[in-house]
Amino acid sequence: GCFVFKPSPKKRRVSWKTANYFGERNDDSDDTELRFATCQSLWNQIKSETEQIQEDLNKQLFDNLVSFLRQSHSKLQEKTTEWTCQTKTREIPTAALVLGVNVTDHDLTFRSLSEVLQNNITPYIALLEAKDCPGIKNLMQKLMGQLMNCSIDVDSLEDEDYVQVSQSRIRCSMTSLINWYESVTKKKDSETPSKKRTTSSRHLQSPPVVVIFKDMESFTTKVLQDFIVISSQHIRELPLVLIFGIATSPMIIHSLLPHSVSSLLCIELFQSLSCKEHLSTIIDKLLLTAQLPFKLGEKVLQVLINIFLYHDFSVQNFIKGFQLCIVEHFCSQPLSVLCCQLVDVKKRVNSLSHDQCENIRRLPSFRRYVERQVSEKQITLLTEDNFLKEIIQKLLEDLHVYHENYVSVLRCLHVFTSSLPKYPLGKQIRELHCACLENRVWETEEYESSLQLARRLLNKSDLVTMLQQCVEIFVSSSGKEFDKTVEKLKEFLTQFQTLEEAFQERDVSVSSQKELQKKTDLYHLQKTLLELKESRRSKKLTKFEMLRFEVVAYIDSLVRNYLVPADHKTLHEIVYFNTASVLREHLNAAPRIALHTALNNPYCYLKNEALKSDGGSISNKAPDICIAYKLHLECGRLINLVDWLEAFSTVVMSAEGPNADVASSDQVDDIIHARFIRAVSELELLGFIKPSKQKTDHVARLTWGGC
Amino acid sequence: QQTLHDLLKKAPLAYAAEIQELNQQHESLFSKWMLQLHLGFNIVLYGLGSKRDLLEKFRTSMLQDSVHLVVNGYFPSITVRSILNSITEEVLDHIGTFRSPLDQLEFIIRRFKEDSSLELYVLIHNLDSQMLRGERSQQILAQLSSLPSIYLIASVDHINAPLMWDQAKLSLYNWLWYETTTFSPYVEETSYENSLLVQQSGSLASSSLTHVLHSLTLNARGIFRLLAQYQLENKDNPSYPGLPFHDFYQQCREAFLVNSDLTLRAQLTEFRDHKLIRTKRGADGVEYLLIPVDDSTLADFLEKEDEDV
Repeated sequence: GCFVFKPSPKKRRVSWKTANYFGERNDDSDDTELRFATCQSLWNQIKSETEQIQEDLNKQLFDNLVSFLRQSHSKLQEKTTEWTCQTKTREIPTAALVLGVNVTDHDLTFRSLSEVLQNNITPYIALLEAKDCPGIKNLMQKLMGQLMNCSIDVDSLEDEDYVQVSQSRIRCSMTSLINWYESVTKKKDSETPSKKRTTSSRHLQSPPVVVIFKDMESFTTKVLQDFIVISSQHIRELPLVLIFGIATSPMIIHSLLPHSVSSLLCIELFQSLSCKEHLSTIIDKLLLTAQLPFKLGEKVLQVLINIFLYHDFSVQNFIKGFQLCIVEHFCSQPLSVLCCQLVDVKKRVNSLSHDQCENIRRLPSFRRYVERQVSEKQITLLTEDNFLKEIIQKLLEDLHVYHENYVSVLRCLHVFTSSLPKYPLGKQIRELHCACLENRVWETEEYESSLQLARRLLNKSDLVTMLQQCVEIFVSSSGKEFDKTVEKLKEFLTQFQTLEEAFQERDVSVSSQKELQKKTDLYHLQKTLLELKESRRSKKLTKFEMLRFEVVAYIDSLVRNYLVPADHKTLHEIVYFNTASVLREHLNAAPRIALHTALNNPYCYLKNEALKSDGGSISNKAPDICIAYKLHLECGRLINLVDWLEAFSTVVMSAEGPNADVASSDQVDDIIHARFIRAVSELELLGFIKPSKQKTDHVARLTWGGC
Repeated sequence: QQTLHDLLKKAPLAYAAEIQELNQQHESLFSKWMLQLHLGFNIVLYGLGSKRDLLEKFRTSMLQDSVHLVVNGYFPSITVRSILNSITEEVLDHIGTFRSPLDQLEFIIRRFKEDSSLELYVLIHNLDSQMLRGERSQQILAQLSSLPSIYLIASVDHINAPLMWDQAKLSLYNWLWYETTTFSPYVEETSYENSLLVQQSGSLASSSLTHVLHSLTLNARGIFRLLAQYQLENKDNPSYPGLPFHDFYQQCREAFLVNSDLTLRAQLTEFRDHKLIRTKRGADGVEYLLIPVDDSTLADFLEKEDEDV
């Protein structure tokens, strides 16, 4: 059933470049090479950034793990010297990592984990996966193979005896493992002092052997038990440390292992970061920066987040979806060549061809822009390419500035709203981002209610502290946001600062008052504090100042910066990717729905007038398989084949009725029979029916509904 | 079966023009597929109608210049082993055998990682067919497809095909779904499907062998295994007449599979009804038992049984 086709050696081309496939459909519209290069560089940038983020997030966890390993190992060594606690030495130190249900992301975590361990603790690490170890024998083989490879990698000695070790993988037992370990450690001890220094400075004396079980849940219990029991017997000769990767909850250890086995383990739990936090940092770093020229539209982002939250919780899939967006955007949109850093924009705009300029003129957002101009300018815009190019440059710069302002103001607003009770605008910054992209924020009810809340309920001293905190965040972010074109930020800051000062003054006065009354008793103190509170509340001016200040901040920042992109910014098509349907059908497809519509309503696909029918009734001109399907929908669980055939032939005959001649009815019958057989076997292949043994000549339905 | 074919040929294919149009729509996606394959995605096609012609067209138009492997999943005696074998033997030019598919897979992965110039396109028709839908074969295929230099395009037909994959496999496969409804009849695919209405003659396929045996008791399976093993041991002997009944009875007794002559005979009758064995009376009047399946299928079958146990 397998056929290999090799290209004939004459025609063999060295390698097709991927870029060649990029723009074959719209051949000469623009420079596909450049577009592809932009796409690739963008993607690479994103990829490296996400990996970096992942590493940073896991750092805490890994540090804990490393210290745990160090500690347990040193303890173990102490114990081996003390003969008194011999019984205790049978315990294996174990770290249980609770990783969460997103299995797809675990690979990366484990890879970086083993790297970290390799650098800090031990060269001997084995990663075991459940699919490689159906039995204890395979497990031991795999373990040995990996450990020996590890040592070869790290030591990179001239290995005369390693070769023979790796070839004799057949007889892998615990004793040979121990022998190997002793030989390795001995070798390390007897090495030249210089070498020893390098190794021992990095690793501990007689480093532990770390065995990582990637997916604890899918191991068979027997294998795990056997392995644990065996290795616990040899723990003194072979310092083992186990790490379990657990997807569900730590209870699984106890349900997988009986008490006698789990008592051999000395378990410590480690919790990994929840995937939601991971996602929010990714969104924070990837989407809410001005650095990346590529942006996601609201609907696309919504789809991606929905897939994440409702289906798989996998950050990896989120990034994959993001990649698909980039590819689609650069592939389908000819103007995406301009989607680059601001530095390159000028060059690229100047090198635009005439066709490209036409493309730009055809953009709906650009049309709107033109309509708003004066008539002479309109004419030059529509006819002269050079003038158009200048305008485009300016517009793109505007877009960039808009993004910068948008991000920082969005963060500011997030600090405000996230401290409100009940979070009317959402708890996470991504929700706020979506809300702002979707519509004009200031027209929504949620925004209105959050304003109400901020104005009325939160008008206490803690709001002020929160404001100060918010300012701090804002200061740090504004420092990074280098070329702020608007000076508004500073304006904000000064406003904030005056507020701060006023508040501090009051603080000073409070403390001085306190000092005066130092000697009074508690009751008095309370009383004066209450009085102070009263007086603070009665200070109408400061309160009013705060309120007004808030309103100013909101209105100022919002009206100017929070415009909906699709609505107000020209040329947003270049930067925003907004076709959510593509994403949905490629990432999250529904084969059953496709089959259902194709069978129920073939008109969707075959555009023939004869197939048009009001839903429910069987059109007798539909393809055979559709007729058979509809007829089978009308039956119960078991279908009689003979009746089915009868019904089928009636329908088909009525379709052919007008033009069928009576003479060849026998032959027609045969043909109909054959078509019926074909249709039925196709339905069987598709999984709608299966042959049933309960009654002769019956088939069983495997789907529900219909009638 | 043949008459069925002839009759069907006479019946005109309805809506040929519209189907043609649909196909053209799908063909316009070819270059996009190539791009996405190269970017590390794998492509899976779903929808009503046979996707075989479409993939075939894709192969002839886009893949002429590169090494590619076509796997007919609907073929009833295909196994993952045969896919892996064809990769190692013909693509990598490696001679030699492997102890298990996992070893073989490891070897392939190593080779592809070492040699970045190796590229392989794999087209699988009906990834969800009877023989490939098992958990283990999907795992192996998923690992293969996760290699960056192996590009996989597959088609699925069964309505419950996505149930085969769990999260881990899905992430290995890295699918991009494409709906390609073609409405063209499943000619090749259903020609192997054992329909009720057409009693198919010819040699038994490995898939039907496994299915019948799965519905039997443990002892009955053991009996069949004994017979199959004996036949495989003697496969080089051209004058091998089959296993004499009496010897077979002795062997079964020793393995505690039957307790009397009668039970064995009853069991054999059942096998005969399912056409799993054939009996022949020799010149000396002794009954000889034979399995009318070619040896390679039988060997495949035994191997699979071993894996399952």
